[in-house]
Amino acid sequence: MNTIDILSEINEIFIDTLDNEDIVIKEETQASDIEEWDSLTHIMLVVAVEKHFKIKFTSSEIQSWNNVGEMVKCIQSKGV
Amino acid sequence: MIFNSASFCLFFVIVFLVYYFPLKENTKGQNWLLLLSSYFFYGYANWKIIPILLISTVALFYTGKKIHQTSDTKKSNLITTVGVLMGVALLLYFKYFNFFIESFSSVLTAIGITVNIKTFNIIMPIGISFFTFKLISYIVEINRGKIDPCNDFVSFSTYIAFFPTILSGPIDKPNSFIPQLQKKRSFNYSLTVDGCRQILWGLFQKVVIADNIAKQINPIWEDIPNQSGSTLFVTAILYSIQIYTDFSGYSHMAIGIGKVLGFRITKNFNYPYFSRNIAEFWRNWHMSLTSWLTDYVFMPLNIKFRNLGEVGMILAIVINMTTVGLWHGPNWTFALFGLFQGLLFVPLILSGSFFKKKKLKVNKYGVPTLSDFSKIAGTFFLVTLSFVVFRAETISQAYLFLQGIIDTSLFTYPNEILEAVKPALIFSVLLFIIEWYSRETEFPLHLLESKIKKRTRWILYFLLIFVIGTFMATEESAFIYFQF
Repeated sequence: MNTIDILSEINEIFIDTLDNEDIVIKEETQASDIEEWDSLTHIMLVVAVEKHFKIKFTSSEIQSWNNVGEMVKCIQSKGV
Repeated sequence: MIFNSASFCLFFVIVFLVYYFPLKENTKGQNWLLLLSSYFFYGYANWKIIPILLISTVALFYTGKKIHQTSDTKKSNLITTVGVLMGVALLLYFKYFNFFIESFSSVLTAIGITVNIKTFNIIMPIGISFFTFKLISYIVEINRGKIDPCNDFVSFSTYIAFFPTILSGPIDKPNSFIPQLQKKRSFNYSLTVDGCRQILWGLFQKVVIADNIAKQINPIWEDIPNQSGSTLFVTAILYSIQIYTDFSGYSHMAIGIGKVLGFRITKNFNYPYFSRNIAEFWRNWHMSLTSWLTDYVFMPLNIKFRNLGEVGMILAIVINMTTVGLWHGPNWTFALFGLFQGLLFVPLILSGSFFKKKKLKVNKYGVPTLSDFSKIAGTFFLVTLSFVVFRAETISQAYLFLQGIIDTSLFTYPNEILEAVKPALIFSVLLFIIEWYSRETEFPLHLLESKIKKRTRWILYFLLIFVIGTFMATEESAFIYFQF
């Protein structure tokens, strides 16, 4: 799947999980850009993304991302 | 050498003068000075513990380099684990070894095996809980790819041993602190003045409120059976005020001293007694420890247990909070304190309010709404209850204390204790009123020049100095958190 498609699917997950219709994510979006995105909701996002794409991240992968783009790359590396 | 002592003043004036005059803008020289003075300051407490600090600093400095040089993730994870274990082992040995031996032998005795295990005479290095946490976060952050290893050993060891924070924190992350050591630092008037104001505010909290309360309630803790329920109840509330003003007073002084030297030290308290639930309280109380444990204990556990849903989160938080408790020292009271705090999160997680961060609402008079006020009072009550366990030397003493409160004498007027702490209590009420109206600022006297005129400002400073001079406790007492 290409980056744009993954981004648009993740965007839906962000809107549902963080309960904010206005969220528009880009590759460079970081947790600090979205008020509702903190360390707690981060885990909820991870679980939702894993379920959606039927993949599993490792702990160190989850802790190494600095922005959405890095998360997308990690999803692609799982063969999505 | 505590901050509010003559010897520290002399030490600091000398460091300050050399730092800004002969060594002006000489970053290398200033770092050397900070390093040597930090080791002097630390050694002044007990010179025998200097080698422990130095050896662990050297070991983790090279571990950090090794992690960075290793391209294989599995291998670098392994080196990081070994490094973290070294830090944890240091902490376990010096702080908890005797506790384990004693607990182990009492378990054996309980099941009928008589043992004669001797405990060791281990010196407990002051500040070890704080500097090992810095060492651990340094290598973990390198392994997570968040920072590059520090190439300059002087900067790195100054970060670990930085004298304003080595004994009791705040625990600075390497990400924000090490870069400050590599920048040019020249005398910054407004930052220095702000630092001095913060020191003054911290001093007021410590010597006028915390020390005066301590003087009156320490004897009560020694003689619980002979106290009325109401005296014990008031004592419990006073201890909550004491531990807050003691530790936040210390933290303000540490941060203020940092500012005078041109550093931004991480915040440690954000008006915690205005919190409306326990989760909010821990976001505002001992923030540098909470954020450390969130990053390195809670989050990894939460990630591990993520598929268990709410149960996983509860498990992660209870383990995390029990660790917070035990971090304070080898005593079952601390474990129970942490466990209790962890369990208080359960209703918040189940109801979903754990995830919500609502702003405090105020009515037209600027005071909290009744609903928020009752939540603030309820949280303070729960915190006070847990601090009884925290303050007690044993669990049975805590039990005795709480049992003493639940008595008909709870409805008598605790005249004696209230009379004895009257000035400190009046200043505490004043403190909370001032804090309420300053709750959006870093600390109550912060950026005063933008709010009031110069003359009024100086009147305020002199008034505060006068209050400190007149009402300060006569006996100098160490900070509560030095023992942790």
